[in-house]
Amino acid sequence: MGLLEATGNVIDKFESFVGVNLWTMIFAWVNLLILYLLFKKFLFVPIKNMIDSRQKEIDDMYENAENAQKNAKELQAQYEDKISKAEEESEQIVKSAVRRAQLKEEEILKEAGRQADRTLERAQEQIALEKKQAINDVKDQVAEVAIGIASAVIERDVSESEHKQLIDDFIGNMGN
Amino acid sequence: MEIQVTGPKVFFELPFDLPDTTIFTMKNLITQTTISLLAVTVILAILAFSLTRKITKRPGKIQVLLEKAVTMVYNLVEDTMGKHNLRFAPYIGTLFVSSIFGSIIGMTQIFRSTTADLSVTMAWALVTTGLVWVNNIKNFGFKAWLKSFTEPIFVMTPMNIVSEIASPLSLAFRHFGNVAGGGVLTTLIYSALALLSNVVLGWIPGFIGKLPIFQAGIPAILSIYFDLFSGFVQAFVFCLLTMVYIAGACPPPEELPEDRRAILEEREAKKRLKKAK
Repeated sequence: MGLLEATGNVIDKFESFVGVNLWTMIFAWVNLLILYLLFKKFLFVPIKNMIDSRQKEIDDMYENAENAQKNAKELQAQYEDKISKAEEESEQIVKSAVRRAQLKEEEILKEAGRQADRTLERAQEQIALEKKQAINDVKDQVAEVAIGIASAVIERDVSESEHKQLIDDFIGNMGN
Repeated sequence: MEIQVTGPKVFFELPFDLPDTTIFTMKNLITQTTISLLAVTVILAILAFSLTRKITKRPGKIQVLLEKAVTMVYNLVEDTMGKHNLRFAPYIGTLFVSSIFGSIIGMTQIFRSTTADLSVTMAWALVTTGLVWVNNIKNFGFKAWLKSFTEPIFVMTPMNIVSEIASPLSLAFRHFGNVAGGGVLTTLIYSALALLSNVVLGWIPGFIGKLPIFQAGIPAILSIYFDLFSGFVQAFVFCLLTMVYIAGACPPPEELPEDRRAILEEREAKKRLKKAK
């Protein structure tokens, strides 16, 4: 029994093996359209959007991380710069302080020296003055004593004023 | 022994008859194919609806698979049709899944493969042709589309018309022929194996003589080839050819003639304006 006869025999109950039925075609179109709309709405569009948004998020994250890293590196460079500058500055401050201290020291020393010199001078002056005074006192006393002795010796009142000059000259010559 | 190779069984006939033509029969509504189409649509609709209820940024196992599938479809469309034609991806995906499920559903033996009915593959092929024509007219203009039939020289016009008709026919018959032919072949081999069993074991009296041992196993392997492998390959081929045909009608905007591009851009701008409103 051939294939063609087989199809011919059952034409009431079966469609022909190779044939196009417009109703089935319309049904296929409707089914395809419904499936297309459903797939588009529930499967393709939401999942594609999800994938895209996730991809975008990942890209953003990477970009952010890169930016953060760049920023951190910049900040690090800045801080390192600042630190080195601060070190330099502190060194300079210390140096200048030391210099200033040295200057001050020298000044103080000089001043002290000067003061000491002055004090010494004054002391010497004082000493000289006092020496002079003492000599004068001694001279006076010696004169008085001499006059006293002389008057006692000659038993007569020697005029103090008369002889004072004489005695002073004498003592002055002695003192020198 | 009697082997029957038939088209889809008719369950129900409409009370009103539309006139039959030589190409189309129009009188039967509910056939095995109709039921199968409905079953495929319902199954796929339920799957598409239920599997995509919880789409999150952090995908679960099912979502990973769905995403992989969707990405594969988009990649395939992008590779075949170009980035500017990505809007066709949902249709291609739908067609692909419909075709595969339509072929595989025949393995249940409850339903007949939808793609083993020429009506179905013809309907799909005509959608392809329709899309090609619509996009041709949209992108190149009606006149340019008509004029393209006379190219490269006027004498070629009949050839061009024939090729335009042949492409959906070849699409439809290729898919139908592979699936239906596979079914026929499986049936024939199944019967032949019964005969072989009869010849080899028939002389043994009683129960053992009637045991069709060769029918076990071998048809399963054939089914894997004809239903699974062939169904997959044919779905892929159908979608690939559809993509190639439509891509031919939708070249990248840069390759369009200057005046057509201007018109299309204007149309696009108007559409965008309407959307913004």
